Order: sequence, then structure tokens, then C-alpha cells
Amino acid sequence: MSPDERAPVTVVVADDHPIWRDAVERDLVAAGFRVVGVAGDGDKAVRVCAATHPDVLVCDLQMPGRSGVEVTRAVAPTGVKVLVLSASGEQADVLEAVKAGATGYLVKSAGAAELVAAVHKTAVGEAVFTAGLAGLVLGEYRRTEADDGAPRLTPRETEILRLVAKGLTAKQTAERLGLSHRTVENHVQSTLSKLQLHNRAQLVRYAVESGLAE
Amino acid sequence: MRLDTALWRALALYRFAALVYAAASMAAHRSTYHRPGLGLAVLALMALWTLLTTLAYDGNRRPGWPLLVTDLAVTVAAQLSSVLILTAGGIRAGDPTVTVSWAAAPVLVWAVWGGPLGGVVAAAVVSVGAVVERGSVSQATTDSIVLLLLAGGVVGYLVRIGRRAESAYAGVVRLQAAAQERERLARSVHDGVLQALALVSRTSKDPALADLAASQGSALRRLVSGPAEPLPIGELDLLGLMPTGSDVELAAPAGAVLLPSAVAMELAAAVAAAVDNARQHAGGCVWLLVEDEADAVTVTVRDEGPGIAAGRLEQAEQQGRLGVARSVRGRLADLGGSVAVHSTAETGTEMELRVPR
Repeated sequence: MSPDERAPVTVVVADDHPIWRDAVERDLVAAGFRVVGVAGDGDKAVRVCAATHPDVLVCDLQMPGRSGVEVTRAVAPTGVKVLVLSASGEQADVLEAVKAGATGYLVKSAGAAELVAAVHKTAVGEAVFTAGLAGLVLGEYRRTEADDGAPRLTPRETEILRLVAKGLTAKQTAERLGLSHRTVENHVQSTLSKLQLHNRAQLVRYAVESGLAE
Repeated sequence: MRLDTALWRALALYRFAALVYAAASMAAHRSTYHRPGLGLAVLALMALWTLLTTLAYDGNRRPGWPLLVTDLAVTVAAQLSSVLILTAGGIRAGDPTVTVSWAAAPVLVWAVWGGPLGGVVAAAVVSVGAVVERGSVSQATTDSIVLLLLAGGVVGYLVRIGRRAESAYAGVVRLQAAAQERERLARSVHDGVLQALALVSRTSKDPALADLAASQGSALRRLVSGPAEPLPIGELDLLGLMPTGSDVELAAPAGAVLLPSAVAMELAAAVAAAVDNARQHAGGCVWLLVEDEADAVTVTVRDEGPGIAAGRLEQAEQQGRLGVARSVRGRLADLGGSVAVHSTAETGTEMELRVPR
């Protein structure tokens, strides 16, 4: 790689199904990503991420050893951006992964082009916000509406999340509300950050209360 | 150990213990007997009958009428033998009879066999025997009659409750086994077939095959996942009733959205009608958003067909393009809910179905 060339995005792929893992790796390499490591279980995923510091971890939710949620919890604080792939409809797990720091979620049946676009977005720090994820996040805020100290959505954020959950693209959402594309992205990002921050604060409080930390 | 096996064993134990008591009682009072030899013979007969019934009531099969009636007859006969064995003065003075508490055994047998009614009937028969052998109704006789009737009724009632609990427990064990089996299937389906279907749907060059793999994958996933915990009685998870298909994108909260069964079914039917209409008139993808709020449940159905200008909405509704809106409105009105339609040229038509909680 010559120095004037832009460095390719580095990716680790973690999935316990070899055929699937190979297919994802092939698609990513063909799109110009550099796959710096693969892992077939959660523990190895954490080790590979620690050793290679990829830009993005593409992570299956259900793996032997540590689950996708636990892997996300371990690597997200180290600056690795996590894109969760899930073949199963375990929405609760997807939500947990997002609260643990994942910034995107795709179903495994999404096409190769969608996957490539999602990894690009994840790499530059943008949330991969599918309609399904918007529905989950909206549902989580509503579920904790009555709880003390739980994060709240602003009316604007609610408006945006609802439109995204109905399948509107960020561009369509921006047009409908007369906002800039950037503003919509920022609002979406903030709905995720608030959930993640609250989740971290809860973990810390739990740790202190149960004497795990001083 | 099964409840019935345990019960019959307990009854056998009772009969043996009561036999020992009867023998001890006879040893203490034998010197006052009119016919002590006959007393010993009756005691031997009681011992034989105790042994026979222990073998006959083994808990593996329900005892038949002949055995039950014979049991009662033998007991009453042993009771009445007191009239011949004891002296008339001894009987009047309230000396213990030959059978003493051994006579209560068939009452317990009948209670275990036939519930409270069986117990009370046998208690009545044994009570008559007790009155006849004593020749009068003293305070002590009344007391033992009341005790017999109570024992027959209460034991019968408890046995009935025990049997019900046993069968409920067996039902729970069956359910648990079924849930475990489904979990095992779900794991293997998730690890194998679902992965393969997802791969096919993603890599296939043939869009029809890709669609088929995706829709079969989601149908299979739904089949093996099922509700994680049993639903409250009379309620349904709305999410389980939402239309599926490769052209339907569902956005929903992570947990179940519970509604009274009738409301959930009616709302789901309205959503299905709206989705069918969107498929017919718009084509492309249909987007569903389910929202669960404190005061209402809202389902939004959006298609990507050509939208309708705001002013022409009523007109379109009359022309049939939104004719379904009226049938959907009808269903929602029955539920005390409302329908709002929003349509733009860029983002298609949204139908918002809202039902108050």
C-alpha cells in the first residue's frame, strides 16, 4: 500500500458458520475492505479484535462461547465499531447489543450490496438504522417511559424515529420534515447514544452497588 | 412413587397397625370374654384378611366391586362377632369390641376408591355394624360414628384433590418436555436450515428463489420460536398475528405486545385487510410499524405506491383506491379506535390504526 492511497477499512468477521463467514468475507474483500481476521466463536472474536484493532467488527448474535451481545460489550469501549448481523428474530438480543454499543443491525437475508453499504456507514461512525432497529429503539424508550432516570426522546426524535421505522430513508425523512440530511442523522445517532450511555451508567451503578467496583 | 401406590401402601400399614392394637386389646380383656376361643379364631381371621387385602390392593389397578363389598362384609361380620364373644354385661359396660379401630379400614379403602361419597357410604355401613354389636347408642358409639363419617368424607376429599394435583403436575411435566424439545429443534434449525436459507436468499442470482428462501426462512423461524413464556389467559401477542412475507417489513418493540384476545384478532384482521389492499394497489414493499404505548396500541401500514394529493383523498376513498379504508375504519370503530390516512407523492400512503388500551 502506497502512502498516498487511502487506507482501506479494516474488518473482522465473527460468525460460527464457516460457509456464511466465507461468503461475507468474499463480499467484503470484493468491495475493497481489508478483512484482518475472522472468528468462529465469541471468545476468539474478542481476542482477534484486541490483536488487530479493526475499524469494524461484523458480528453474529448467536455464537458459542461469548454471545454477540457480550462480544459487543467487550469490544465497543475499545473503539471498534460493531455491526450486528442476525439470522434469528431475537429482537431482545438485538436491542441488548445496541445498548451494549453496537451502532447497526442487519438481518442476514440482506443483500451483499446492503451489507457493503452498512459496513461503510459503520466505519465512518454513522448508525445503520434500519426500520426494524428504529422500531426496537422506539419500543425501548416507550417501555421505560415511566421509569425514573430513564432517557427520554425529544418530540423531534420521536417524529424522526417513527418515520424511519415506517421505512422512510434518511433522505425522505429529512424532506418530509424540512430538515437537512445531516440533522436527521444527528438526531438518530443521539437516540442511540442516550440508550448506550444510560446502559453504561446502569452497569456502573450495578457494579458499585454489588461491590464489584470501588 | 405414584399417588395411588402410596395411598394403598398407607392403607395396608393402617390395617396392620390396627390389627396389632386389636390383638393387644384382646390380650388385656380376654379373661372377661364369654367365648375366648372364638375370639382368637376371629382375630386369626382378621389377620388373614389383613394379609389378603394387602396383596389385593396393590395400587396398580382399581379394585373391583366384589372385593370392595367383601371387604366391608368381612369387617361387619368381625364387628358382629363381638356379640357372641363378649358377655352381655361387658358389651353394656362399654368393654372394647373385638375389631376396635381395625373396622375403620374399609372406610378408608372406599374413600380412596370412590372419593368423599364412597367414604361416607362405607362409614355409614360400619356405623350400623357398631350400633348393632353394642345393642344401644352410647356417647362413645356416637363419637366413633362421627369420627368414621368425618374420616370417610375428609380422606375421600383429600384423595380427590391429590389426584387432581397429580394430573396437573403430569401436564406441567409434559409441557416442559415439549418446550425443551422445541428449544432443541429451534437450536438445530437455527444452526442449520435457517443459515442455509439466509445464504441462498442472499447469494442467489434468481430473485424468485431468493424471495422464496427468505419467506420460508422467516416462516420457519416463527414456527420454532413461539412465545418465550406463556401468555396471560385471555390475551394475545399482537406481533404473532401480523402478516408475514418477503414483501412485508415489520418494525416493532422487542417484547410481546399484549392485547385482549378479541381486540388483538380484530386489529390483526384490519391490518391484514390494509396490507392486502396495499399489495393490490401499490405493489413493492409494505412497511408495518407496531407501537405499544401506555394508553394505546398503534399499527401503521405504509405502501410505496403513488400517493394521493391531500385534497383528493375523499375522492380516492370513494373510487375504491382507498375503499378498504372504510372497512378498516368500521373494524376500528367497533374497537373504539380510529384510522388516520396520510398520503404523499414521495413516500406513498400510510394508514394509521390506533386502538386505545
